[in-house]
Parts: sequence; structure tokens; C-alpha cells
Amino acid sequence: MDAPNENILRALDDVRQGWIPTSIYSDPLVFEEEQRRLFSRTWQFLAHDSELPNSGDYVVRYVLNDSFIVARGEDRQVRVFLNVCRHRAGQVCRNESGNTKRFLCPYHAWSYKIDGSLASVPYHEEAYGGEEQLRKEDYGLYAPPRMRMFNGLIFVNLDPDAEPLEDYLGDYAKYLAFYFPAGPRHVEVRGPQRWRFGANWKIPAENFSGDTYHTPHTHASTGVIKLVSSAATTNRKAGINFAAGRGAGSTFRMEPGTLVERLRSIGYPDDHIERFAASLAPELRTMIEKDGVIPSASTLFPNFSLLHLWARIDDEGHLAPFTTMRLWRPISATETEISAWWVGDKDASEEFKEKSYKAYIMCFGTSGMFEQDDMDAWSTLTRMTRGYMSGSVHLHARMGMRSDGSQMREPLKDFSGPGVGHLGFNEFNQRRWLNFWAEHLEKDVPAPPVRTVVRPLRQAAE
Amino acid sequence: MEAAVASKGKMLPFDHPVHFAAHQFLVEEVYVQDRRDFDAWLSMLAPDVVYRVPVTSTFGAKPHKEGEMDHLTEDLYSLKMRIARLKTNMAWTESPPSRTRHFITNVCCYETERANEIRVLSAFLVFRTQGDYQGPDLIAGMRDDILRRSGDEMRLARRIVSLDESVLKTQNLAIFL
Repeated sequence: MDAPNENILRALDDVRQGWIPTSIYSDPLVFEEEQRRLFSRTWQFLAHDSELPNSGDYVVRYVLNDSFIVARGEDRQVRVFLNVCRHRAGQVCRNESGNTKRFLCPYHAWSYKIDGSLASVPYHEEAYGGEEQLRKEDYGLYAPPRMRMFNGLIFVNLDPDAEPLEDYLGDYAKYLAFYFPAGPRHVEVRGPQRWRFGANWKIPAENFSGDTYHTPHTHASTGVIKLVSSAATTNRKAGINFAAGRGAGSTFRMEPGTLVERLRSIGYPDDHIERFAASLAPELRTMIEKDGVIPSASTLFPNFSLLHLWARIDDEGHLAPFTTMRLWRPISATETEISAWWVGDKDASEEFKEKSYKAYIMCFGTSGMFEQDDMDAWSTLTRMTRGYMSGSVHLHARMGMRSDGSQMREPLKDFSGPGVGHLGFNEFNQRRWLNFWAEHLEKDVPAPPVRTVVRPLRQAAE
Repeated sequence: MEAAVASKGKMLPFDHPVHFAAHQFLVEEVYVQDRRDFDAWLSMLAPDVVYRVPVTSTFGAKPHKEGEMDHLTEDLYSLKMRIARLKTNMAWTESPPSRTRHFITNVCCYETERANEIRVLSAFLVFRTQGDYQGPDLIAGMRDDILRRSGDEMRLARRIVSLDESVLKTQNLAIFL
């Protein structure tokens, strides 16, 4: 039966023991299996609702090599379609975003409405025999098998039998709502910045799920120049890593104080703090208030990551907090395209938005003083795994694990956040992510997203 | 981008002394950038400098979507911070430092409403490599600068960089355009 090759199956066993065969970062066969078994059935982020404020607004986004149009219809509904003409696979939308009433295929001029339905076929009568032979309602743009929104985040799943998004998120939904609340704090996004670099997509996804261990060294420069307080880079071992549902992430330890004092201390204005506090799930509020930690980076399996941080934005030492979301889109085993957005509070003052945006640009994205060094580490390690000898190496991913495989640190008993929490440096979350990865690579390839009925000629003749 | 050019003041002839001075400024600047003399570069910037690299994106029929998102949107404070970081010896991505070559051409100068400021458009191509492993990366685009004169001195008061790619193919913008 169809199964990944023996090397890959062995790699799945290895990662479950906390050993990462370097080949999973550069082997094209591994990437092929990921496309067939993992991206074919995991929930994939496409866009945020706030990117489509008006009827007719659209953005074009990708899942691997599938191009999707995300569009808001005349009825205000957001829909997703495959950007492929039903006649000869022309690209019906060639912009990255815009506002339109029609998508026109440049090849034979089939055109589609903003709701994806087929609007017109040239010479419909003469060429096709009209509606009797080619019913336009049967030839709208294909929709992905599943589409679901969570607090404005638009996800699709290419598996017709996909598990519901709610089940997939599990209790991670409460962390996701920290970055993207249902209200009364409303979110808007700016972006994306898009760029490609030479890293395997799993490395950033795994990093954002809980690698607090890299911060003191990789990002040491940001503490030296006081972009962030030096405690932010050196005191990461005081944070708690959380894991729930298909997501996991890390937190920052905050200075003592009430919730309001803590949020004020990182640059939130008072009017914002009210909305912020009212938007938190009770567990998250207790986590910030009682446990004294606030979410920083996290990843929703497989490749959607978020981050919340604050930075010094002027010579006077004012701090401004920001949130970012990013998608790690694999281009090949050794190349990833990043799409990164700034995430802001829609109801905040323009002044605060600009401060937060400035903090983001200084820290993350193409030019960010944190992200620059992350990307360098990730592309370097990808490159270093491409050798014949280096490709036979197993990397150590067993931090927090004894040699017999047992956990050195039990989950915190009194952790207030949803799911499990571990104090200090630990690769529990990364191993958990790698276990999800292994689980998916063992699964059968799901049913195809489109089951086109091709009527046999004979039957058609009858 | 074309619309912005159309709204400019009168173009200076190529043999105008101010055109020569602006061109010389740009050439001196790229030599400073390429030898990574960042303090000298900072001294060429006005205290109220605005330095932006917006994201290029195809919006509808328009080739560029302006004003939405930036790769860089800097003032003197943030530029100084970036340069201070490069000097920490812990900016790992620039260790070893990028070798860059900025090529500047198609220089056109326009009068502005202010007698001491001129608007300078130029095309650039940056060739970037690192060690024996990175690149060559190419970054192409247009600079839309405002140069401010004070006596014999000229400083960059504003730069808006229009990139010719929507998806950058260089690992990061740890270099200045």
C-alpha cells in the first residue's frame, strides 16, 4: 500500500524519541510526503477578515502551489475559490489584491462573479449549445472542501473529511483569542510583507512553538542596544511554555503588579487596557494576573505563527507593544516564503497604532532586528543539512528529557492557562510539534479536494 | 510611481550645477554604504530624515499598492538603533558582513517648493553576497529622494524606495538601500 519510504518512516520514529534526522530539513522526498499527507489535511490560514472591508474586495493567497482568491461578495459574505478557470486552468486573477465585480480569464474570456459563479462564456450558444449543454451554474470556480473563520481568521482545509476547525484548535483557541479576540477588542492587520529565504518551513514553525532557549544568544544584540529590556532576552527561562490543542507557545515573565499595571508597563494606553482585559478568556486573564506571564510567540500546527512583544521606539525610552502573524509557506524542502502582517487594535488611536507599527517594523518582518537573526540561523542550519555526511546526522531535541525518555520537568500543577504549562527552558513543545508532524506523515493520503465527475462518452450518447 | 513623477516641479537640465551636486551626493553615498561606513552615512542624513521602503504589491490594475505596509519605515532614532546593532558584533546575520554593490543610474532632479530642497529620482541595483555561501541576491528599484542644501553641504531629508519585486528574494533587509 502507499506509504512513505523506509527512511522517512524511520525518521518518524526518531523524532518521537527526540532525535531529528537532518534529512527532514532538506530531503525533497520528505517534502513530497508533507505535501501529500500533511498540507492536504491540515487547516491552512489564508487571510484576515479586516483585509476585505468592502464588497468586491479580494486578496489572492496560497496553500503551497494552490492559488486561492478570498473575496467578499455583494452579500458581504467571505468566500474562497481556487484561482483556476474551469475551462483550461487559466489564472482568473493575477493581482495580489483589489476590488472587482468580475474575474476574467485572459485565455478564452470565461468570466466569474465575485461570488465565484460563472458569469459569462463567449459564444455560449454557438460554441456549447447554450444552457442545455453547458449549465453555467455547474461551472463556478471550485471552492476548497472546507472553509472556516475563527475571530476573523480565515482558514481552509483541502481534505473533504477534515476534522472541524474547532476540534483542531481545541483549547489553543483561547490562546489564539489572546492575539485575535472575538471582541470587544477588534483587530485589523497591515501587510503582508512577503519574502523568500533558504530555510525549511518546519524550522520557524517549531521555533515559534516554544524555543525560548535561542533568545538569550540569537537576540543578544537587541538587549545590548536596549531595543528591549535586557531582561526580555536574558530572563526567558522564567517564562512558562504552554501547549493546548494543535498549538503551543511561550510566554514572557512580567514585572510584579496588577493586570492594568502590567499592561501599562509594556506601553498599552489605559483605554486600550480596558478593551484588552475585557477580551481575554478568563484563564488567560488569570495567567497574566496570577502566574505573571504573558503570551509571546506561538504556532498553530503546522505553519501559522503569532507573536506579541514590546520594544523601545524612541530616545526617551517609550515602549510600544505589537502583535504579528505570519505564515511559513514552503516553496521547496529548502526554501520558505514568509508572509508577515502587523496586527493592530482597530479602535486604538492613530498615534498608538503608529507606535505599535513602528515597534513591529523595528523588531520583526523583512528588516526586523529580531527576525533578521532568526532567518540567518534557520537558513544556515538548512544549508548545513544538505551534505551526504551532515545528512546522516541526528540532532538533539531532548531538552527536558532524561536519557530514559522520561520528562525531567512535570507540567506545572497550578498553571492557570489552558492546556499544559512547563516552566523554564524545555523542548517539550517542539517535540509535541514534531509528533504532530510524524502523525500526519503516517496517515494515508486523503480523498482529493475535487471529485470531478467525468461522464463516460457512451453514457453521454445514450 | 509614474503619477508621482508627473507631479514634480521643473526638471533640472543635466548640466545644471545642482544636478551635478546631487549626482555626486548619491555616488558618494553608495561608496559609503558599500564600505559599511555607517557613521559617515548617518552624517549624510538630515536630523528629521524619513526613510521608507514600502511593500510593492499589485492592487487591482495598479502596479503598486502604496501606503499600506512597509519593509522599513525609519527615522533617525531607528536608523541609529539598526547601526548600533550592527556594531555589537552580535548581529549574527551580518557576520560575516554582506558585500554589497549599489549601482545608481537614471538620475533626474526636480525643483521643489522649497528653494533649499530638490527632489532626486534614481534607479538602483544592489548586488549582495555573503561569505562563500549567500547570494548573489539582486534588489532593484527606484529611489525618490529629497536632498536638502545648506551652504555647501547636502543631506538626505527623505527617501522612499520603490522596489521592483513584490516578493523579495533576499533573506532580509539588514542592509540599507
